[in-house]
Amino acid sequence: MQTYQEEYLHNLEELYALSRRKPLDGRTPEAYFAALAQDQARTETLILRNMDLLRSQLFPLLDDLFHAGREDLDHLFQFASRLLVPGKELDPGLFCQIHRALLSLARQKQDRSAMIRELYWLGIGRNSLYGRLVGLDFSLTEKYVNRMRLCFTEAAAYLKYFDELSDDETRGYILRSRANMSLGTFKHPREKIHMVKTTQEILNDQEYQKKAPALPWDRYIYMTHQQMAASISYAKDHDMTPEDVEAVMESSYIVFQRRLHEAEANRQRLSNRWALPYHTTEFYCGVLTLDQLLHQLEALMDHADLSDYSPDSCYTVISMPAFYCQYLQHYPDRIAGRETYLDSLYRRILRYVEAFPKDLEGDVLFRYLCQLSHTFIEIANGLLYRDFLLKLLVRFVPQLYIHAAKVAWAAKAFCQLILSHEPDFFDDIPEFQVMPENAEKQQAILDYAAGCGLFHDIGEVNMLELFAHIGRQWMAEEEQVAQMHTDAGKNLLAPRASTSRYADAALGHHAWYDGLRGYPAAYQRLECPSRQMVDVIGLVDWLENLTGSAWLYTGESMTFDQAINAAIELEGKRFSPLLTAWLREGGAECIQSAFEQGLQAARRRLYEDSLRSLDAALP
Amino acid sequence: MEQLESHPATEQQGHLVVERTGAGWRVLFADPSARKLTCLEPGAPADWADLSLRQLDLDRQPLDESHQLWQIGKSADKQAFLQANAALEAALRSAEEANQAKSRFLSSMSHDIRTPMNAIVGMTAIGLSHIDEKARVQDCLSKIQTASSHLMSLVNDVLDMSRIDSGRMTLHEERFSLADLIHDVAVILRPQAAQKQQTLRVEIGDILEEHLLGDPLRLRQILVNIIGNAIKYTQAGGEIQTSFAQRPAQAQRGGASVLLDFSCQDNGIGMSQAFLQRIFLPFERVNNTTISRIEGTGLGMSIVKKLVDSMSGEISVQSQEGQGSLFQVSIPLPVSPQTQNALALPTGGTILVAESWEDRAEKIHQYLTEADLRPVTLPSGMDAVTWLTEAQYENRMPLALLLGQELTDMPTLNLASHVRQLAGQAFPILLASEADWVQLEYRATRAGINAFVPCPLFRSRLLKTLSDLTGGSNGQTGGQSGEIDYSGYRVLLVEDNELNQEIAMELLEMTGVQVETAGDGLQAAEKFEASPPGYYDLIFMDIQMPVMDGYQATRRIRQLAREDAKTVWIVAMTANAFVEDMRLSQEAGMNEHLSKPVDIDRLNEILRGRLGAAPQPGKQ
Repeated sequence: MQTYQEEYLHNLEELYALSRRKPLDGRTPEAYFAALAQDQARTETLILRNMDLLRSQLFPLLDDLFHAGREDLDHLFQFASRLLVPGKELDPGLFCQIHRALLSLARQKQDRSAMIRELYWLGIGRNSLYGRLVGLDFSLTEKYVNRMRLCFTEAAAYLKYFDELSDDETRGYILRSRANMSLGTFKHPREKIHMVKTTQEILNDQEYQKKAPALPWDRYIYMTHQQMAASISYAKDHDMTPEDVEAVMESSYIVFQRRLHEAEANRQRLSNRWALPYHTTEFYCGVLTLDQLLHQLEALMDHADLSDYSPDSCYTVISMPAFYCQYLQHYPDRIAGRETYLDSLYRRILRYVEAFPKDLEGDVLFRYLCQLSHTFIEIANGLLYRDFLLKLLVRFVPQLYIHAAKVAWAAKAFCQLILSHEPDFFDDIPEFQVMPENAEKQQAILDYAAGCGLFHDIGEVNMLELFAHIGRQWMAEEEQVAQMHTDAGKNLLAPRASTSRYADAALGHHAWYDGLRGYPAAYQRLECPSRQMVDVIGLVDWLENLTGSAWLYTGESMTFDQAINAAIELEGKRFSPLLTAWLREGGAECIQSAFEQGLQAARRRLYEDSLRSLDAALP
Repeated sequence: MEQLESHPATEQQGHLVVERTGAGWRVLFADPSARKLTCLEPGAPADWADLSLRQLDLDRQPLDESHQLWQIGKSADKQAFLQANAALEAALRSAEEANQAKSRFLSSMSHDIRTPMNAIVGMTAIGLSHIDEKARVQDCLSKIQTASSHLMSLVNDVLDMSRIDSGRMTLHEERFSLADLIHDVAVILRPQAAQKQQTLRVEIGDILEEHLLGDPLRLRQILVNIIGNAIKYTQAGGEIQTSFAQRPAQAQRGGASVLLDFSCQDNGIGMSQAFLQRIFLPFERVNNTTISRIEGTGLGMSIVKKLVDSMSGEISVQSQEGQGSLFQVSIPLPVSPQTQNALALPTGGTILVAESWEDRAEKIHQYLTEADLRPVTLPSGMDAVTWLTEAQYENRMPLALLLGQELTDMPTLNLASHVRQLAGQAFPILLASEADWVQLEYRATRAGINAFVPCPLFRSRLLKTLSDLTGGSNGQTGGQSGEIDYSGYRVLLVEDNELNQEIAMELLEMTGVQVETAGDGLQAAEKFEASPPGYYDLIFMDIQMPVMDGYQATRRIRQLAREDAKTVWIVAMTANAFVEDMRLSQEAGMNEHLSKPVDIDRLNEILRGRLGAAPQPGKQ
């Protein structure tokens, strides 16, 4: 690899570490705050440096790729492969950008082997990039899934010429592409089962195996069994044919047995990660009843060792409850009688997370918690979903939490200014319309503003690689994907009682007042009863993004005064004239000062949380 | 009146005694048979208004100066009188019913007119009170627009009816395309059906002649009224199935004619048998509490009936309450004499059809086979990509890819994007869709679609589009047959790197476009400045260049005091892929962004988007 490529990767590693919660290391609050500021400054330096490296080194190479030398191309390929190491996906966006360019080159040169290889890697990159879009409606993500799948489909189509393509590497790419066609969500879930079945038939075909004996056929076949076993979760609608059931049962059995043997050979217990799909398959295929399955899961979760922070234990403590809750969501009649259990389950998870050793912390822990955030069941008098989400933000995404806190404080302060002159300003919102004009109503509105501010960007937790962990400015495709944080946020907040009232702000804070621009399409301002508050959040968020740290990935940055002037210029287009009028009447100063207060408050909260975590970790 | 109970003269059958009342006569006494025959009661006016007495042969004898004895004539006259009386009674009932219908019409019209008027007045007031809130005012204006157009349609219906009633409406005869007519109707009505989440299917049966003679405006009115009613009276999520077909008809005026059969079936609220008797009467509407909010004059069906009658056609309707209605219309139409343009379609050429709707796929298959083409139909995007990859490998690419309405696994445009990359820029991709092209055009051309065939699908349109795109070559040559010719257009390529310039020139020249080059931004700006207005259709501008970069050059061009300086399409060519770079390009006045290394497909996407899928050679 070239020096700039090494440096870029190194910077990404450092940035990744900086995005994590700052350990206390015995610091006083003041020293802790200073360290946070220092980390932020370092983050900015590294991102700017990365941009510079790409602009000065990588982009000129891509610009002139048609007559790049063999060595340059090899380095480029190696560099890309380091950007997307399994388990450590440092920069899937750049990975895709590079492989897209290499694919163009291969097509141009009509180099078939290179085309197949690049189609495969572009598919892998897109799978990683779009894999963040969990919990979103298929109609929103379909376009991206298809982009990924068609790469694999085209590469897999060369299977017909398996004999003619004599090198095993290319043949391997074709087979792996064929298997990966079943990655991602399908329009009709049964298609996935059928696709894996066809792949299994191909891989088990002796004729193919004879032609390329050096390929790891067993591994390929085993991986398709894993895919098949995983596809069971799609069978919720019970529309599997007896043949489908047989195929899934068979694959589950093979995966389970192999893991069991491996565990026995290593004198270890079978990981629950493999036990869960096996039991799930038994349930969907009619061997276990739902109650038996739930009891089995409860038994496994209850026996988890809370002092064990290994990946397997982490899975049992956090991820398995996520699946457990998913079943309860699908069969809500089974929730009754389990309320206390659910509450204790969540509290146990939080204690476990609080005590999780900093040095062992990684992506996995956060991913499992994200899974849980999608299936969380809110119980009366139990842990509130809003508290759970807040803990998630504070603990794992401090930068996002700081932004949210600044927006919350500023929204609250701005609303207070408006209410002091126009107490009925927010009366379009039904819950406030019916309240008598008094201090209690005002406080309720301010609390609402703060909540909307805190949770407006919660959808970003789905795609941290594009926000908190990004090591450079976005590219066009990433920007498109990032825009879906609005729909993702709404989907998280809307179904739960403690957060549903914030869903409009999460969905609509990037919409334009005049409806001509902005996103998402699902937000219709004039049909939203909370639009006055969504407008407030949209304005304050926009100001914070321009003046805070979002410029690192959006590329747009202004001083606070410039941002205020720009907002006023967008009056009636991007922003409600009712609000921009208040910016002229003292609102600007009030927001600026609240940003500072919000920053300080957020830092205090981060410090306190680190302290509490330290306590939890003590024996 | 009591003193009128008897008179000796009126004891005889058919006699009545009348008394002078100023200018007329009043009945004093009448025997029961005279009363029955004349429907006259004592005290009633006896001559001036009573039509029934005028029908009779009356023998009038003066009794004194102010009284007369009237005797009703012979029994034959009486019989005629009875018949006349019955007819008059029926006419009276009919007039009364018509009067009631008109009263109901007036009452509902005043409601129907008041409703949109209220909206207009109310929304105007709201708009005025929020004049500073653009979005609110915009919302008000759009509601006012909707209400106004509804009001206009009410007035138009009333005027049409009045024209028809007074015999002032004449039918025009002109040449028209049945395909255009049906397409227009579909474009008007599809959004309404979509708003109610209804399925509106338009099926095309056997069409003998697409070019006909008739009054397309009035035909459209008939179709829109019938299908519009079906949409109106069918619940959300319902289904409306329409079909068009032709049969040979008796020759008219020495020329060939066809019978156009149209049917429209819905699963809506249907009509009672009693209402079915009155459906074509003016001012009648289905009275049903579930549809009380449906607006309309009740004139539509009456107008339709009169229009169909005036075209010598027939209309019938069957309906059952709660189950839906079926309207069937047959109209004879003369065939338009036309000059047939020969289509340049290569015999035996393969067309890959990606369509999962069986009916549509069958129809496409039929049309293509009849044109001696060889369709290969696949229902999914993944199958299509696999098939094309194999075809490319085996050097047997089809003439074109025809994308249909739907695929089993993905939206058609997702497939188009990938095929454009896979098969290259010259490969023709057509889309046959029910969507409105105006709505779809931007996304479709960006996805790589070359041409659009509107649905309902007509043979002539499909084959003409294919012929235009494939240019009549015998295909099977890797898609080169569909190469697009932009020889009438001129492009300025601004690029400092010689090799890049060479490659881009080669790619551009493959499309026939005339390419001029500039080695840096300053040269580009000067070349543009020195050219006559409208000389360049497109500028591809590199960003990083010596002397003057692409941003500066674009700014300089945009600032020139000539009209085309503001409008000429400038495309940034750079490997700088950050969102900020795109913003900088936009801020400098560039319209689009092309990543490097230059992707031939993306380049052609831009050419197609700017210069059009069907270029007009000859523009200099």
